[in-house]
Amino acid sequence: MSVLLRAQGLAKRFGAVTALFPLDLELEAGRTLAVLGPNGAGKSTLLRLLAGLARPSTGALEIDAAARSRAERRRAIGLVGHASFLYPMLTTRENLVLAARLHGLDAPGERAERALAEEELLGVADRRAGALSRGLAQRVAIARALLHAPRLVLLDEPWTGLDARAAERLTRRLAALPSAGRALVIVSHDLGRVAGLAARALVLVRGRAGWLAAEALHSEAALAPAYAACVEQLEGAA
Amino acid sequence: MTQSTSLPRLTAAALGVSALLWAFFVWRAPIDAMQGPIQKILYIHVPCVVGAYLGFFLTAGASGVYLWRRGERADRFAAAAAEVGVLFCTLVLLTGPIWAKGTWGRWWTWDLRLTLTLLLYLIYVSYLLLRSFTEGSERAARFSAVYAVVGVLLIPLNYWAIDLAGGRTVHPENLGRGSLGAGMGAPFALGMLTAVAAFAHLLVRRLEVGALRAERERLDAEALRREA
Amino acid sequence: MSALLAILWKDLVSEWRSRDRLVAMGVFALLVVIVLYLAAPPGGGPEARAHVPGLLWVAWSFAGVLGLNRAFASELENEALSVLALAPVDRGFVFLGKALASFVLLLLVQAASALAFALAFDLDLRPVAGRLAGVAALGAAGLCTLGTLFSAIAVRTQYREVMLPLLLLPLLVPVLLGAVRATQALLLEGTLPWPALQLLLVTDGVFAIVSFLCFEVVLDE
Repeated sequence: MSVLLRAQGLAKRFGAVTALFPLDLELEAGRTLAVLGPNGAGKSTLLRLLAGLARPSTGALEIDAAARSRAERRRAIGLVGHASFLYPMLTTRENLVLAARLHGLDAPGERAERALAEEELLGVADRRAGALSRGLAQRVAIARALLHAPRLVLLDEPWTGLDARAAERLTRRLAALPSAGRALVIVSHDLGRVAGLAARALVLVRGRAGWLAAEALHSEAALAPAYAACVEQLEGAA
Repeated sequence: MTQSTSLPRLTAAALGVSALLWAFFVWRAPIDAMQGPIQKILYIHVPCVVGAYLGFFLTAGASGVYLWRRGERADRFAAAAAEVGVLFCTLVLLTGPIWAKGTWGRWWTWDLRLTLTLLLYLIYVSYLLLRSFTEGSERAARFSAVYAVVGVLLIPLNYWAIDLAGGRTVHPENLGRGSLGAGMGAPFALGMLTAVAAFAHLLVRRLEVGALRAERERLDAEALRREA
Repeated sequence: MSALLAILWKDLVSEWRSRDRLVAMGVFALLVVIVLYLAAPPGGGPEARAHVPGLLWVAWSFAGVLGLNRAFASELENEALSVLALAPVDRGFVFLGKALASFVLLLLVQAASALAFALAFDLDLRPVAGRLAGVAALGAAGLCTLGTLFSAIAVRTQYREVMLPLLLLPLLVPVLLGAVRATQALLLEGTLPWPALQLLLVTDGVFAIVSFLCFEVVLDE
């Protein structure tokens, strides 16, 4: 199993406030990592560090060892954030074509068409992104994030705002994503959704990290108490 | 913490000595034959120019270091140097026109040096406003650092531009050695020294304040965590 | 390179569909022309004409700043800026794409307002049209390069509309001085002064390089 992500002593400070204390992390291909924790714990900060949107204050981050520059490293990453990252004045198709061109993909038009078909979005292909519902926008966001076949897929609270059917659909999609060349990191506070998907879980409380045992992730029933215990322990340490 | 109180005392002492000597020599300096007593305001004006430009270059330098190494101390140094520098720059722009009105009869002209200093002042003010109004201290540090570096890189261009627009005429060019009358050398030299000493002292104090603020922020954040 | 073109295309198409920047800039420039016309009646002959180059650049630079202020506004909706920040290209190319889009829009407004100026002040621009366009373009380039860099910064500050002119104008002096001097010589004497052009070219070059390099840092969170 190849290691896709390796972080050593990764930390982020904003002025005098530490948002993330030094963290070590390794993720192999085919695995899904869940990042759990209460609000304001530093989960989004961690994700943005991994995505390359923010620079760590200290520590080293290695994504795709072959990458020689920050720009190249970004090629390996696909991010689905809180917001949809879609341009409201452009249609769904145009947003995807834009993403394809930004990533320098060959035949951007075709790639976009294929993505639309895969995510079953052809019906809204010509609708302006600003007019899409939250659920549809989320699906387009995922299509956009996967367009360039990234090796590391990062998702920030992906189930927020989705109705039950859409949420189910998403869970199935995410379950199918990890493969020989790809790994997932999912930030969520929805323990139920995460329980079946992730093989490992990191809990963040006020910037401090704790790991959950693998057995805890087999079901929500096992996860909830393990999570609560971990949170309590981390709060005590802070 | 205790270590930092000895440096301000040192700079304060240096400032005190320098200022006393300077004041003495200014008082004893002869009254300029052509310009009259108003000329003495130059003993403040010229040293302040030193402070203003010193601050600018220090800010730009510290900003460069920050962009390269992302050290918090470089950022705090840049902020402190900018605040002290803008103070000196304000004095330059206040004392200059007073002198100008007394000798040339006009408050302001668009001479090269005046315009350049005014631009410098505007860049200073923009830098400080940028720091205040950016959300997030790390972002503020980064943005203002970029601005300071860009600002300093453009000084030669500004110089060229204003020169092109014909601004070289009015401001006195008295940098030559023999151009100062007898008895005026000492106060000028001491003035420069005093300005540097004042700058250093204010900078050190301001850095102290910066460090204390950072410490308080850290303690606040900790307290917030513990009670939440 | 494809990223640059993609961004340029996106900005221009978005602009075409909403037309908000273009209309705002155009109306503003027109207003400036009207106000200046009322303030300085054109019957005055050579004396009134002498002010036209400066007035022209007042209209153009304010319209430019207005447009630049909105350059990144659309990126904030849905956090679309992250898409640009995530692109696996040197972020300098993102800068170029945005700057070029602003440049194109400004050129259009410059052309329209030059026409309005010529009508209002009874000027015959035909003999100098080509060279005037060149000077206008050089000035616009300076404005749009540094302006795009600072717009990206200003858009994430508290008083973004005020912040951009505050940051930009002191540093824009070389561009404005060079451009006004060149326009002056062009309109009043029919010549193009090489020193002013030199200043413009060098300044534009410096602005472009500096902005290109700084954009990587600016586009971080």
